[in-house]
Amino acid sequence: MAVERTDVVIVGVGGAGGIVAAELAKAGMRVIGLERGPRLKTQDFEPHDELRYFQRQDLRPNWKKQPVTWRTNANERARPLQTLNYGAQAGGGTVHYGALSWRLHEDDFRARSNTIARYGARAIPEDSALTDWPLSYADLEPYYERAEYEIGVSGKAGNLKGTKIAGGNVLESPRQREYPLPALIPDRCGLIFDDAAKKLGYHPFSSPRAILSQAYKGRPGCTYCGFCQAFGCHVGAKSSILVTKLPEADATGNFRLYTGTMVYRVNSDNSGRATGVSYYGPDGSDNTVEAELVILAPFTYDNTRLLLLSKSAKFPDGLANSSGWAGKGFMTHLRARVQVAFDNEFINVYMGPSAQKHSIDDFNSDNFDHGGLGFIRGAQISVGPVALEGGPIGATTMNPPPGIPRWGAAYRDFFAKYYARHAAIAAQIEDLPYPHQTIDLDPNVRDQWGLPAPRITYDSRRPNENARVEFMNRKMEEMGHATGANLVWRSPETGGAPGGHHMGGTRMGTDPKNSVVNRYGQSWDVPNLFLLGSSTFPTMGSGFNPTLTIQALAYMSADAIVNRYRKSPGPLI
Amino acid sequence: MNEKNESRRDFLKTAVAGAGAVATAGVAPPAAAQNAPMQMDHGAGLGAFFNPEEATTIAALTERLMPGAPGKPGARDAGVLNYIDLALAGAYSDMQEFYRHGLTQLDAYSRKTHNAAFARLSERQQDEIITALESGKADGFTWPTAREFFNTLRTHTMEGMFADPIYGGNRDFAGWRLVGFPGAQPQFTQTEMQSKAAYKGGTVVGLQATRKV
Repeated sequence: MAVERTDVVIVGVGGAGGIVAAELAKAGMRVIGLERGPRLKTQDFEPHDELRYFQRQDLRPNWKKQPVTWRTNANERARPLQTLNYGAQAGGGTVHYGALSWRLHEDDFRARSNTIARYGARAIPEDSALTDWPLSYADLEPYYERAEYEIGVSGKAGNLKGTKIAGGNVLESPRQREYPLPALIPDRCGLIFDDAAKKLGYHPFSSPRAILSQAYKGRPGCTYCGFCQAFGCHVGAKSSILVTKLPEADATGNFRLYTGTMVYRVNSDNSGRATGVSYYGPDGSDNTVEAELVILAPFTYDNTRLLLLSKSAKFPDGLANSSGWAGKGFMTHLRARVQVAFDNEFINVYMGPSAQKHSIDDFNSDNFDHGGLGFIRGAQISVGPVALEGGPIGATTMNPPPGIPRWGAAYRDFFAKYYARHAAIAAQIEDLPYPHQTIDLDPNVRDQWGLPAPRITYDSRRPNENARVEFMNRKMEEMGHATGANLVWRSPETGGAPGGHHMGGTRMGTDPKNSVVNRYGQSWDVPNLFLLGSSTFPTMGSGFNPTLTIQALAYMSADAIVNRYRKSPGPLI
Repeated sequence: MNEKNESRRDFLKTAVAGAGAVATAGVAPPAAAQNAPMQMDHGAGLGAFFNPEEATTIAALTERLMPGAPGKPGARDAGVLNYIDLALAGAYSDMQEFYRHGLTQLDAYSRKTHNAAFARLSERQQDEIITALESGKADGFTWPTAREFFNTLRTHTMEGMFADPIYGGNRDFAGWRLVGFPGAQPQFTQTEMQSKAAYKGGTVVGLQATRKV
């Protein structure tokens, strides 16, 4: 058993942890990063292999060894989810993600207040914990810009200091600066989507992505090979933490990364102060890092799980959980999808950056009038392959149009004809937070280290959400027909299952009574403990992918730690 | 290829031929597929997982899920049986019992409803059984359930059709040629991405082999 001391220990060196590791190390703090997976290199991602990376999820946790279980309600026995959409290596999910890099809207940070002002308090479902964020868009805007420039995001501004710019997202909140890189080149998917959206009076644009449209900071531009979502980038054009922040952290000489390690407890003393963490090494050894500052930045579930695994006499309900909110308010993006297929033209959906290629923001957040619709909030609508990567195995997960079975000669003929002639219009739909949608410890299922698996109790089929999904399906069917496609059909419902982008569990807030952390991710109860990542989102705010917001928040936390906390360790608020 | 692998190749060929005897009589696979060299099989042993009877059933099942026709390669042409056999001996070894139980239950159901083993039934009868599996109406299934067994078979059939040939299926890129997927191309140009026409890049790119389109 090894025990060592350091200034800062970071659990999980992914989208958030990698940023904080680099920034704190640059400021002269000695940082140890603990990462449960390996550290891969750009050359490890060649050749691209759909079976290995998409189907068998080689860059994601193995659901049999590291299970995450799910049940729709508290009376059921939870079963392991068989697809886990987060990272299993240094760099975390940024290694295999589609690299969508959105800023939330001003409105998204004030979803509760704005809903009440515009539609009245009764528009919010009674059992929802919809709330405002404890910070504003203006607070985070400088950090969004910093993340876009340091990491490398391609896009086109649609609102530069209040001036609307056609071709960008004119519904975005004002930005102070253009993107560092021009938008990626549109492919056939993007062109048919833009054409249909414009016919209907919407405002389509090339989705902002952390994929280099040209050379930047010593990395080459994208080759448009199409292997993004589920894959690592074989040229390093995807701005993953592996090729952006980890080299910065390495260069300081203050950063050490321990791979193959699994943290199982945050240690704390009688005063309630965090003293460090304990972890299993790759050889099964039981080790401890003692640190002045403990930063948790694993994927969503493990922030909650680690608090619940770290009970103490002072915190019998889980470390830093005097509010009782640890694990509550779990959210996922709901999914609805409409496929289009053409008899006489090809889309070749496997070409070009694969995920959510072009988008509209017209039905997102509160960008449209919800009066009389029976629901609040919205969705980002985009175009791409059904599986967010364009290979044929992914496409076989698509349900064929009504009347065509999923197998047999008719299926073969459908798939042979339309694989290269189809595209999917997809809605990534906001989910409201509900206290009874939770993460806790599964009493029946354990992971490879013998730790109880994170258990999700969640059912997306609630009245507000169902109405929102149905509305989006109709809008997408209209768009599908506007493409001129010969076939337009919906995907089936998902049985209440968690969708993409899991968030919540250690929500941030302004009141220690009903939130776990403050706006900096600092625990209200344990000031030398920070929790980073989407687990801190109190409300989704939009149908936008969360990564850039996670990264902007990480920069903000790092700034607060370096410039304020270090001088005067204690509560930042 | 060593002696062991040649034996295994014969074994699988026999299974496929047996499965096709009733189910697909008169339908010959495309010449290209018939003449294609057997794909590498990672040196696994004779009948890497399936016994001859199981192999015959899986060959018949997967061929009904993705049937071949002239100019349209199906599961048999693509080597789906070979793919699943190798997967169960390797990456999916934890699913061996799942398959074994599923096949035992299928055999019982087939004999009960049609008085014969699945592979001996007509295509229409086989399709009736698969429909009953898919809908969950086939009785007598506990674990795996009929639906679970169907869904897994479908998923693995699609993997065998469309995964890279090094995994033992998609023989000679049969699946990729069926749907027009060119494999992992290193790049696409703006003109290629914005074209309304079929991609004519020239070469299908696999992990260990390439082939002119």
